[in-house]
Amino acid sequence: MVFIEQRSILSGMLVQEAMRKRVIWVSRETTLSDCTNRMVKNKVAAVLVTAGDDRPVGVVSKTDLIGAFYAGLPVETAAADIMAAPPLFCFPDDSLESAIDQMHARGVHRLYVSGAETDRVIGTLAYPDVVGLLYRYCRACGKSISKVRRGTEDETNGSRLRVGDVMTTSVRACKTDDTLAEVIEELTTHRCGAVLIRNPASHAAGVISKTDLVIAYKHGEKTGIPAKVVMRRPVLSCDANDFLSLALQQMLLKDVQRLFVYKDDPARIVGVLSLSDSARFRSGSCRACTSGRLIVGD
Amino acid sequence: MLARDIMDTRFHTLKPHETVAQAVKMFQTASREEGKKIFGLIVVDDADRLVGMLSMYDILLFIQPKHMKIWGEMEDLEPDRLFEDLLGKVKGIQVGDIMTTEVVTIGPETHILSISDLMINKHIRRLPVSENGRIIGMVYMSDVFYHMLTQFLD
Repeated sequence: MVFIEQRSILSGMLVQEAMRKRVIWVSRETTLSDCTNRMVKNKVAAVLVTAGDDRPVGVVSKTDLIGAFYAGLPVETAAADIMAAPPLFCFPDDSLESAIDQMHARGVHRLYVSGAETDRVIGTLAYPDVVGLLYRYCRACGKSISKVRRGTEDETNGSRLRVGDVMTTSVRACKTDDTLAEVIEELTTHRCGAVLIRNPASHAAGVISKTDLVIAYKHGEKTGIPAKVVMRRPVLSCDANDFLSLALQQMLLKDVQRLFVYKDDPARIVGVLSLSDSARFRSGSCRACTSGRLIVGD
Repeated sequence: MLARDIMDTRFHTLKPHETVAQAVKMFQTASREEGKKIFGLIVVDDADRLVGMLSMYDILLFIQPKHMKIWGEMEDLEPDRLFEDLLGKVKGIQVGDIMTTEVVTIGPETHILSISDLMINKHIRRLPVSENGRIIGMVYMSDVFYHMLTQFLD
């Protein structure tokens, strides 16, 4: 059997180049309400739970909080009661590709980075940070859109990836009158980060993300209330024909995890582009360096 | 010289369910009425118990884009529009969502040297004074500073 080593622009990069040094942690006794507070303020999707001696013992993610919301647990419940243990680790000098492989294989969105002493956490690695690194790499490239003068056609335009090339075409949606419990079921069944909320005319009316759900939980809402009370407007979207790099730029700058994708008519949503999906395309935003574009399937 | 002697008994508070916009207004009101720049406000529940502290830092941290490095590299963008979108995130966010919940407090009998030690070691600029579970005053770094130093220099 012949193995051909696939190359992408992440080849040779190390975890320490993409990791974030700021680790948000809580103690075992921290309430779920306070866990939400840390996540919202620091814009992270999970917090590390440490024991009294600062030893990492588990992780509470937004997904775990939504599970607690659905199960009707009080927001005063302790982090230790719902955390996933143990946390998953990688090392700063691991290759970025092996870390992404590990994240994908274990079905998690982040890894904690530990130093020589394995009990000491020195950073986190999450999909959006990998995309951020890719994006900066692409932007610095000589063929970058930002280097091309506006209004001029250049020969690389044809090789640039467009949103339609990498988006997910299955859009998960609920109706404005569906309950939050139904929204949570939809999110959990399909393991997605947000659902589109459609009005009775089937037009995109709003979005409910995991963040919106954990905030509703913290604010004391019940899972029986209709989606329209919690949904966010407007629906942030882009055209399937837009350049991928511009869509990534919008997500990174606006601090959103996904854009809904329409074709020609903004009311007709045909797909969704998420930062996590983009991280699976380990190459950049054009085909010029995708000789080894590696797509990790589900 | 104890906390009781130097604390400011005029202070403003926030409630956890108030919006960030209401908090920003309260920062302005408090600064005007207390006659000093207020960078942090205590948060109390309906029973007047201390539940947290909201500082300007907490609000700025929340608004700050997560991928700030990328913002820094974008000289060619018009940042104003994007900034508006960022501020849009604040809608629906309450004081309790972003306040600091671990607040160090002192008692009315805490000595000024212990207070200054706390401020230095924990990088705190204001300390609520708590008595029987109620907040009865605030000690600001400037109060500690002027009380300690004017005594020596006079």
